[in-house]
Amino acid sequence: MITDISPNLLQSYQKEINSYDEILGADGQVKPHWNALFATLEKVGMKELHFRNIEIINKLRENGVTYNVYENSGSLNRPWQLDPIPFLIEQQEWNNIAKGLKQRALVLDLMLRDIYGPQRLIKENILPPELVYGNTGFFRVCNDVKLPSENQLTLYAADIARGPDGRMWVLDNRTQAPSGMGYALENRSVMSKILPELTNGMFVSRLSPFFHNFQQTVSSLATKAKDHPNIVYLTPGSNNETYFEHAYLAAYLGYTLVQGDDLLVRDGFVWLKSIDGLEKVDVIVRRIDDEWCDPLELRQDSRLGIPGLLHAIRLGNVSVINPPGSSVLENNGLLPFMNAACRFFLGETLIMPSVATWWCGQAKELNHVLANLPKLIIKNTNRKQKLKSIYGKNLSNQELADLRKDILRNPSEFVAQEEVSLSTTPAFINDKIEPRFAAIRAYLVSDGKNYHVMEGGLTRSSAVRDRFEISHQYGGFSKDTWIVSDKLVTVQQKIVVPQTASVIHHASLPSRSAENLFWVGRYSERTMATTKFLKITINALQENVNFGGSVKSEHIEVLLKSLTHLTLTYPGFIDEENPSILKKPYEEIHDLVLNSKRSGTVAYSAESFLRGVIAVSDKWSHDTWRIINLIENSLKKIKNSGSEINNPNVIQKVLDKLHTRLFTFYGIISESMPRDNGFYLLEAGKLIERILSRISIIRSTFSFKNDLNVENDLIEAVLINHHLLVHYRSLYKSHLSLEAMLDMVLLEENLPYSLSYQIDALAECLAKLPKTSQAERLTKAEKAVLEASTKIKLTDISTLSTYDTETLYREKLDGLLASIFDLISSVTVSLTDLYFTHTVIQHSLMENPENSDTNEI
Amino acid sequence: MKYNLTHQTTYKYFVPVNSYHSLVCLKPQNLPSQICHSFSLQISPKPAEIVERKDFFGNSIHYFSIQSAHQELIVKTESKVETFAKIINADASLSCCESREKVQNNNSLKIELLQYLLPSPFTHWDEEIQAFAQNCFPDERPLYESVKALCHKIFTEFSFVSNFTNINTPIKTVLKERKGVCQDFSHLAIACLRSLGFAARYVSGYLETLPPPGKKKLQGSDASHAWISVYIPNIGWCEFDPTNDLVPQERHIITAYGRDYSDVPPLKGIIFSSGKHTLSVSVDVIPLL
Repeated sequence: MITDISPNLLQSYQKEINSYDEILGADGQVKPHWNALFATLEKVGMKELHFRNIEIINKLRENGVTYNVYENSGSLNRPWQLDPIPFLIEQQEWNNIAKGLKQRALVLDLMLRDIYGPQRLIKENILPPELVYGNTGFFRVCNDVKLPSENQLTLYAADIARGPDGRMWVLDNRTQAPSGMGYALENRSVMSKILPELTNGMFVSRLSPFFHNFQQTVSSLATKAKDHPNIVYLTPGSNNETYFEHAYLAAYLGYTLVQGDDLLVRDGFVWLKSIDGLEKVDVIVRRIDDEWCDPLELRQDSRLGIPGLLHAIRLGNVSVINPPGSSVLENNGLLPFMNAACRFFLGETLIMPSVATWWCGQAKELNHVLANLPKLIIKNTNRKQKLKSIYGKNLSNQELADLRKDILRNPSEFVAQEEVSLSTTPAFINDKIEPRFAAIRAYLVSDGKNYHVMEGGLTRSSAVRDRFEISHQYGGFSKDTWIVSDKLVTVQQKIVVPQTASVIHHASLPSRSAENLFWVGRYSERTMATTKFLKITINALQENVNFGGSVKSEHIEVLLKSLTHLTLTYPGFIDEENPSILKKPYEEIHDLVLNSKRSGTVAYSAESFLRGVIAVSDKWSHDTWRIINLIENSLKKIKNSGSEINNPNVIQKVLDKLHTRLFTFYGIISESMPRDNGFYLLEAGKLIERILSRISIIRSTFSFKNDLNVENDLIEAVLINHHLLVHYRSLYKSHLSLEAMLDMVLLEENLPYSLSYQIDALAECLAKLPKTSQAERLTKAEKAVLEASTKIKLTDISTLSTYDTETLYREKLDGLLASIFDLISSVTVSLTDLYFTHTVIQHSLMENPENSDTNEI
Repeated sequence: MKYNLTHQTTYKYFVPVNSYHSLVCLKPQNLPSQICHSFSLQISPKPAEIVERKDFFGNSIHYFSIQSAHQELIVKTESKVETFAKIINADASLSCCESREKVQNNNSLKIELLQYLLPSPFTHWDEEIQAFAQNCFPDERPLYESVKALCHKIFTEFSFVSNFTNINTPIKTVLKERKGVCQDFSHLAIACLRSLGFAARYVSGYLETLPPPGKKKLQGSDASHAWISVYIPNIGWCEFDPTNDLVPQERHIITAYGRDYSDVPPLKGIIFSSGKHTLSVSVDVIPLL
């Protein structure tokens, strides 16, 4: 007989609560929807919840959901953390919250327009002038930078949490380029896949109407091209903490993901440098902060913005969301004046309370703060100064005295806030459900005149008990946010069917993305080629040690030297001052596998590949991400293999795995990637690298004649390198002939790894790419490939194996391969000149470490 | 006085520059004490457009961009300017103490002056800077006299040395080394004044220089100049030239006012190039007889 002696989940959670909690209503009873949720959780069971949680973690990783930096060292991104237990708010209550949020947004919008306008708030003594003129977010050059709509604050995010009176309070505002919407969307998508049954007994509002509103607003701000506006999503780049979200949202919304140097201002318009030439941009949704937007008029050292952008906005030729200058509202000093501003503009009081805040720039407030310092939280007025909040209660007498001195020296730089206790909410922590503090980031978008609230949001909660540290940077995790009701709420929504024109309008490929895709192709193949040949070499070494002794080791020396030529890691095995390296090759081989700091190694190429992949994150499907993550895991394994790597079998194994995974990557690309310019560039990069790497091996193995025995071993190695040994044997059995091998490897047109097959495939790719000049039928790159193809096809194979009897040099073979090598190498240069030149600048300036815009959430 | 004013800036690049965006702040203002009869801006290579606008402070700013490869850029302005002597009733000046109170207690005046009272990108101060200025500003002395005393102090204690500082040299370094150029002295004076609660702004313009006695004036020998403007309650904004220890009159030609240099650089631009460049500037302020 089975007895369930454990108390139910809800009861045990209630025992954990030590302040007021989200699950309890004003009457102290558990709210009905929380009751339903706990009942479902009970049904699912804690054990199952544990597994679902693991599934969530895996899913997020598979989808590549990350937060923070992809470091140069190639370490993993920090995965996004999602709690399987959502945050519930009842629809009725949310409607009231939404009303308060809309009012906030409206007041902030009016403040923004007033500050960069008539400044009535200052003139009529509603707002102290210091909070404008001493506000680091106030940019004088933005005074005449306006959107063509009534509301200027298009997108607004507020951090809200439940205060001691049971109402939701506003804690903070985001008014420049609010982050988190994409994570909210991804959280919902993962939850609905992995824990669909949690919605049992309730209806959860959808997020998509909000994004639809957002798209409509963005399109409406395109003043010049109403039918098919060109909209770009401006990211600071893959080093930004929230880059995942930028790529995710750009793809979701259907906007082109760009960086500052993908854009330029010419003739008063903003243009996107795409591989089809310049394309006019109508709207920019930006994820960079104000000061980085235009180095000409704002921060001069910014490489993230577009010089001349403000000029183009002033002319009305481009709209930027939110308009630069809106950082003036992200200022703690404004909080105490919100209510007065609301009354001034709207004649009503604020619906949603905010935490009591005192700005020390006023004498009375300053005295209050100084007298109550131990009870207060001290913050900087200007958010950019990044002082972490100081809790007066945690300070010693000496520290309090120092703080007092700091405040008195420059009172207007400080604000103080009351420490309020906020509500807790159930969180799944170490397989238990425990109360944690949480706050919701709510999102609003204007349609030009009115604000619409997202029916949901991004909830973040503290990982640590009894502490309010919700930022993901400090280990906080996120929750899906559910607006719930008993009945299905039908959203009245006007769906605008897009006009045919905007459907036909092709997707732009920025030159920078084009270049990155090309190099993704090159580095994936470089990793493949190196991995493949390393495996061949190690095999030969193993066979020799195990079965042959040191009798016939000459072919191994050739292979080792070829490895150095292939990877361009000189002196390597060609070090004449260190001939013993050929006898003890493993140290160098290990280095060629795992030294990520050395150009040419497997780790280096794989890392470069991954960096390229991340730089064009918006191009990959979910399935592709899954493979990319596996490749990243392989790389991690290689780099962390330590002393294990001394075992050749271990190296073989990790190389095998990486090789297979890269093949899978090729497979998914070839089966699923749209045949657009990006695909053909990736393909071209891959083929160029494949041709060059194969030529390199043939040249370093056969340019000089060796003994027959040695040559036979090398013929086998080259055949393996071209995936042709099996095929060769089926035709020629065990007879190894150089001529037959060369004929197959160079000329056979039906073998995917033969040179002529690859060169023709390359020609096909190049033919699909756009022509920028009409004058010539073939581009420079195409001509080079045609020449290479012709050369190889006109070759008389029988002459290639001839050699000079004195020097043993095979001039014909080496000469032919050298000229093809040069021709194919020139293709990269031609493609760069033709399609990527715009991006040259980016490279020279990328090292600048000061160019980081942060976007922490 | 009437002047013909020419200001030519030439950039030479070692590698061709494909894209250049620029802001020009060189147009002389129209003021009670100054009329700008004509102004022309010539740029080579010729930009597609030149767009003029008024900035936050009311200065004229010209934007232009060049999108063709070039290795030399010339920006040349020519203007005819007429200046008049200023009559300043210095006796009306309130004392330092009264001046400070007046600004603090008059709200609309405070709003108007606030941005010239707060620190700005190039003018921050500390106790040391305040201490340097303090003895020029006794409570009872008229503010006007006190500012003159500060200018005199800077003029006598500092030496004018070109190429020792650049625009990014901190005021503290200037104070320590006791040398610099007109921008440095103006920033120092502004920091001193604001540290004591007086509103001060930066003036960008030109000064007609006089050749040594018996010598002919050399072409291109003039330079752009900078000085300060201080708000003296009961009088208004008054100008002072700490570099030359004088009160600007007809020989000073005003192009722009700002909180400091960062608001009104004569010429600034963003180049798309990795190469180096050289810069030469030639200014002529030729009096018309």
